[in-house]
Amino acid sequence: MKKAVGVSARRVEGLGKVTGMIKFPADYYEPGMLYGKTLRTKIASGRIISIDTSKAEALPGVRKVVTAKDVPGHNGHGVLFPDAPVLADSRIRSVNDAIALVAADTEEIAAEALELIKVEYEELPGVFDPREAMQEDAPKVWEKGNILYHLPIRKGDVEKGFAEADVIVENTYSTQMVDHAFLQPEAALCTIDERGHLVLRVATQYVHWDRVEVARALGLSVNQVRIICTAVGGAFGGREDMTVQIHCALLTWLTKKPVKMIYDRHESFHAHSKRHPMYMEYKTGAKKDGRLTAVEARIIGDSGAYASWAPNILRKAAVHATGPYQVPNVKVDSYAVFTNNPFTGAMRGFGAAQPPIAYEAQMDLLAEKLGLHPFTIRWRNAFEEGSVTATGQVLETSVGLKESLLAAAKAFGWDVEQLV
Amino acid sequence: MDKVRFSAEINGEQVDLLIPQNLRLIDLLRDYLHLTGTKEGCGEGECGACTVIIDGEPVNSCLIFALQARDKKILTIEGMGSLEQLHPLQTAFLDYGAVQCGFCTPGMLLAAKALLDKNPNPSREEIKTAISGNLCRCTGYSKIVDAIESLTGKEVNSK
Ligand code: FES
Ligand code: FES
Repeated sequence: MKKAVGVSARRVEGLGKVTGMIKFPADYYEPGMLYGKTLRTKIASGRIISIDTSKAEALPGVRKVVTAKDVPGHNGHGVLFPDAPVLADSRIRSVNDAIALVAADTEEIAAEALELIKVEYEELPGVFDPREAMQEDAPKVWEKGNILYHLPIRKGDVEKGFAEADVIVENTYSTQMVDHAFLQPEAALCTIDERGHLVLRVATQYVHWDRVEVARALGLSVNQVRIICTAVGGAFGGREDMTVQIHCALLTWLTKKPVKMIYDRHESFHAHSKRHPMYMEYKTGAKKDGRLTAVEARIIGDSGAYASWAPNILRKAAVHATGPYQVPNVKVDSYAVFTNNPFTGAMRGFGAAQPPIAYEAQMDLLAEKLGLHPFTIRWRNAFEEGSVTATGQVLETSVGLKESLLAAAKAFGWDVEQLV
Repeated sequence: MDKVRFSAEINGEQVDLLIPQNLRLIDLLRDYLHLTGTKEGCGEGECGACTVIIDGEPVNSCLIFALQARDKKILTIEGMGSLEQLHPLQTAFLDYGAVQCGFCTPGMLLAAKALLDKNPNPSREEIKTAISGNLCRCTGYSKIVDAIESLTGKEVNSK
């Protein structure tokens, strides 16, 4: 038998990648295929008064122009709630919104047709900071209210914890929106097979859910939709939501022709999710020896106009809010809030990447105030087997933090005996 | 738009075509010849995914018209090595784990080849400079540089 463990294996699809043979969605061609393009909104908050597609439809080489009224099934998609429109019908909530689709004989004709579509908007006041969006009188992104999700975590008694503290550090931290910028911009090629079923080739992270989303929007049953995941040119969370999938399938279904859609980098930035910016208000108390007595945190995540994974991500941020440290008294409130910003979703860490900016900075500031080495304050609070987290979980096994801390300290050449 | 004659040697074969004057080289390669190993990541000279070698020099094929490559020698990833006989750089990329999603890989390999063809013994810094026009969002670059470095001072000019 060939040895597998302990040897470096080559990627199974590596050969196709170093020779250029492997296919990403834009690398597929079909005889007689049309090219699809998307008209996107120019405003972030407002209303569509009218759409005139007649000039675009009259352009030679244009085979189909599609707007919201042509969506046969549910005009929405989303991994948790299908609240993002396939095509905006009247309300515009963010620059993500697509307004019309064109299928034409060539990419150039499709691009020209987009220029000929006339959209009349009424701009409405928008809200672009989730802290403002939480106020009673803020413009409403959704009628039901802007607060999408709230998770409180309570452990012990923070008032008592702060009363016991020798030092308290209070600060607000924020992180910015980040694009995954995977190297391969979104693309898809959709065909109809001999059974009359849709076959969509796309680079995706969520092939089975794409199938549900496409079927629901087109009013088909899932067995009429087949999603083939091609080679994926990076994703990092950014391919968990719909971008090109439903649009390409819709144009194919309505023209009964193969349709290819390719985003350029600019459109890619418009179409897919971003990492949640988070505003994090932290109050942390510690005794003279560095032991934490209490953490109070309020974390507000900007969901943009659509939910995507926001509740799950802000839940994860909340669960990680106290870091890998034992804290007897905890009060955490985590919110996901709608704004008119581009929607945010999954990205590496899924909500666990932002809070460390805050809780680790707090640790350094506490150490400075107490005259302790940054290592020492962490060592004295670090999780070990048997520790209880802020949510009450007992860590029974595999808690390697202290070993890691030791290894890192040694690598830095620190005198560990002195520091613990 | 009026079509014009285009000819060039692409991957060792003579190509003669009628093309629109404003056709980008990348579109000629991909849409006319279906040499889809050449990738478009940005279309504006930032990412290097579209790198090909023209008369020995690495070039962003999204930034030039096909006509600017008329009568020249063009090498794309499809001409670099074959399944039966990989170019040593291709083997090194596989062995060093320098390939993840693979979208940057063709451009990265051609940029590396253009370097080694001219300078078989580059320093690590020279390698980094040579691929500084090629973005990779997956690997963190170290393994790519390691893979290229593993071939310094070796006879790698198989093509
Ligand atoms: S596609 Fe040419 S440099 Fe990015
Ligand atoms: S391997 Fe994915 S961009 Fe380089």
